[in-house]
Amino acid sequence: MAVRQTDLLQGTLDLLVLKILGTGPDHGYGIATRIHQLSDEVLRVEEGSLYPALYRMEESGFIDSEWRVTENNRKAKFYRLTRKGRVAAQAELEGWLRLSKAITRVLRAIEQGA
Amino acid sequence: MRLRLPRLARVLLALFTWRNRDREMDQEMAFHLESITAHYVRSGMSRTEAEHAARRRFGNVLRLKEAGHDVRTAHLDELARDMTYGLRQLTGAPAFACVAVLTLALGIGANTAIFAVVKSALLDALPYRDADRLVRVYGGLVSGTQRGGPLSAGTVKDIADRQRSLSSLAAFTDVGIDAVYGGNDGAQMVRMTWVEPAFFETLGVQVALGRTFRDDDALSGLVPLSGGQLAPDAPTAVVVTDSAWTRLFAGDPGVLGREVRVNGIPRTVIGVLPRGYLGPMGEVDFYFAFDLDPVRDNPIVARRSQWLGLIGRLKEDVEAATARDEIAEIWAGLVREYPADNGTLGIATMPLRTAMVGDTRTPLLVLMASAGLVLLITCANLAGALLSRAISRRKELALRAALGAGRGRLVRQLLTESTVLALAGATAGLLVAIVILGALRDLAARALPVHTNLWLDWQALVATGLLAVCTGLAFGMAPALSVNRADTRSALHDESRGASEGRRSRRLRGLLVAGQMALCVSLLVGAGLLTRSLWAMTGQPMGLNPEGVLTGVVQLPAREYSSPQQRVLFREQFEERLRALPGVEGVAIATSLPTAVRQRSGVTPEGTSPDAAQPFVLTSVVSQDYFRLLGIPLRAGRTFDAQDHPNSPPAIVVSETMARRFWPDGNAIGARVRLGPDRNSPLLTVVGIVGDVRNDRARPEAEPMAYRSTRQVPVPILMFMVRTTSDPMLLARPVERELEMMNRGIPLQRVMTLATLLDEGLSGRRLPVLLMAAFGLLALLLASVGVYAMFASLAAAREREFGVRLALGSRPAAIAGLVLRQGAGWMAAGLVVGAFGILLVVRLLGDLLYGVSPLDPVTLVVSVAMLVGCATIALLVPVVRAMRVDAAVALRAQ
Repeated sequence: MAVRQTDLLQGTLDLLVLKILGTGPDHGYGIATRIHQLSDEVLRVEEGSLYPALYRMEESGFIDSEWRVTENNRKAKFYRLTRKGRVAAQAELEGWLRLSKAITRVLRAIEQGA
Repeated sequence: MRLRLPRLARVLLALFTWRNRDREMDQEMAFHLESITAHYVRSGMSRTEAEHAARRRFGNVLRLKEAGHDVRTAHLDELARDMTYGLRQLTGAPAFACVAVLTLALGIGANTAIFAVVKSALLDALPYRDADRLVRVYGGLVSGTQRGGPLSAGTVKDIADRQRSLSSLAAFTDVGIDAVYGGNDGAQMVRMTWVEPAFFETLGVQVALGRTFRDDDALSGLVPLSGGQLAPDAPTAVVVTDSAWTRLFAGDPGVLGREVRVNGIPRTVIGVLPRGYLGPMGEVDFYFAFDLDPVRDNPIVARRSQWLGLIGRLKEDVEAATARDEIAEIWAGLVREYPADNGTLGIATMPLRTAMVGDTRTPLLVLMASAGLVLLITCANLAGALLSRAISRRKELALRAALGAGRGRLVRQLLTESTVLALAGATAGLLVAIVILGALRDLAARALPVHTNLWLDWQALVATGLLAVCTGLAFGMAPALSVNRADTRSALHDESRGASEGRRSRRLRGLLVAGQMALCVSLLVGAGLLTRSLWAMTGQPMGLNPEGVLTGVVQLPAREYSSPQQRVLFREQFEERLRALPGVEGVAIATSLPTAVRQRSGVTPEGTSPDAAQPFVLTSVVSQDYFRLLGIPLRAGRTFDAQDHPNSPPAIVVSETMARRFWPDGNAIGARVRLGPDRNSPLLTVVGIVGDVRNDRARPEAEPMAYRSTRQVPVPILMFMVRTTSDPMLLARPVERELEMMNRGIPLQRVMTLATLLDEGLSGRRLPVLLMAAFGLLALLLASVGVYAMFASLAAAREREFGVRLALGSRPAAIAGLVLRQGAGWMAAGLVVGAFGILLVVRLLGDLLYGVSPLDPVTLVVSVAMLVGCATIALLVPVVRAMRVDAAVALRAQ
């Protein structure tokens, strides 16, 4: 079953993109593909959400972009994490871990109680 | 990391690079689509199928792009919305908008105009290469009566030989000298100057056409100039300035090699100077090269005739101060070596810019500061006005806050509104600036440094724009500060229109009024002090009566009138013709007009050692009627008359101050002196003592002065003065006709009344006074409006409260007292702070003040009284209105 983007909690897409770009610059299609693959094909990011998110983060200075040539000799726009973005990614990650831990704890307590 | 621009810059960038971004997004989407398609093809779909599937999955490309644009231009949209809203707010209150824009236009316009002048005079590069490496060397009298004076040829040579800090230096005649250009028909007056061949190279000026001087262009051969100075007038090579080239040769590129006649001598044009070039001696038409060696070899004039300017270019690693010290040291040596020649003289070396700016620096800075104060008052004024509007808009703002607008968002909106207002003001202000600069071109041409250019350039426009934005932010700050989220609820609940305003915003407005009072009183005191100085200057007796006198200049071409007899004959005939004109009461001739005497001569009374240092006195050669015509009183002896002729013993008339200084025992009459550089010149006998004439009106005491007779000194330049019973200017045309009848080749120059001439001598002093007084009055007006506006709205806001008080039995007078006390408190606070402002202004004015104490009680009292008077009137209007409040109406009004 593919989880659609709308099911992603708000803010998690930004976190995923930032973390992926943390491993190296990539273009939009590459980011979408890697999220898809890394999630064992569970998460599929819609382009209609991905690009606005990229533009927004570029505007906020978390990432910047430049045109480069892919290994297939095509010109593509590569996004790269900035120092500010790295800090933001760390903060978002911590927030996410805290949140997911909390949710897990709640769910586990209910399961055990049941 | 890549450089990130500030947000506003990025928003603007987004606006200008819209098309680019659009194309970039197109490319990015295309790449993405193709990658998906390729992926589908790899997993087994046909090409067409894959393309369709990819497009389906990708969704609406257009919508994606819009999302992209939205992210980038959200701020821009917001800005545009705020601006439109701001404009709507302004058109909704046209009276307010008009007054605000008008005040701003005056404030910003004045600043722009003064800034343009200051920038041009003090900041803009001089038209020379590396102009900050140039220095100017001045002579002068140690007594201080002459600063920025010329040097002797001997001094120039010794400095050139001994100095180590300048890479090149060149002397030049310090002033442009009038010359006749052209032949007997249609002769024109031009200004010429002589320079050493290295002059242009030292300045770093390249010619536009031809070449500059070479050493062999410099010819000597001395001809006498006005007042006994000597300068070579034989050189044949001429370099013309751009203005002369366009004016006299119609910009003809074939002018090189052409023969021109100047002072009747044929010469050849060898070069044309570039447009925009201006020499340190001011506007001239023709440059000649001279060789100073023969002058130096002449023992009479080598060191005793001071007539040269000197510029130098500093060596690479030498500071101006080092050169100054070195030249001062050389000069100290020259004073020891030639005490008789140099004993009473001094020297000063300064950067060329300082030299060219001269005495105008302080007045300009004072004016800039005054204009700045006016703008601050404008800001405070508008801040108060906008604050009132913000208070009446409290509910609107509260509603916006309640609907989710953040405080930052509201502040931004208010600031945008005030900036829109400021920009409108700046646009109108540019018109004001253009008008002011136009007026200054007429008024101030003589009072400003020669290189000043009175036009608005793009830098001035940018400065105006920045000024407008800063102004907008400054006066928008007050209402923005009053935005307070905490009282949203109370503001919305508060149904009544007339609840009293908050304590906080009332205090803010009080501070604004106090600030205006402080600024205004400083400005008024400054203007008052300058006005008093000017009065002191003009009020002191001049020593002569200028009314009803027409003056003008006639210069005899040296070649045509080379013998003394010819010159005497011309003068006598000219005098005779003028005397015969109807309405003429008297005619006088002199080498200098009174109060504009430049010539100074060394004095050696009989019996003093020829090696003693020579004191200098002003000298002028005058005709018989000079003293009577100008009303200069005779104190003792006689003035010149028919007994003085070329063969009688040479006579001299001295001023009272000169008589006192040289013959303190009162035995001046009959004493004998030598005048001028030549130690063997004939002795002159003092035949009379006349009253003092102040040559420099900015100095309280008269300089000693000596007069010689035109009967004994035949001069080539004639300044004539004609006294008439009617308007002197009516004589201008008849005088010109008489001259034409005598010789068509001699133009009549600088015809004006003596009163105008005396006025011009003061224009440098009068201009800052006029402008500062105008600023002071403007400030007074603005401050009064500010006080009125504050208390009017304060009283209006408390109308209901007053109603309650009246209903409870309070007397109207008590209410008036209430408002007055509050107003008086803020005014007093403003005046106390203003005391510090006054101290600052007085310090800045410093040496502009003349004959008035910096803390002149009259000025202080009058300024404060004027301000308090106007403010009180402004205050009383709303108070009287408050007293008339009808309790019933005020309470019922909802």
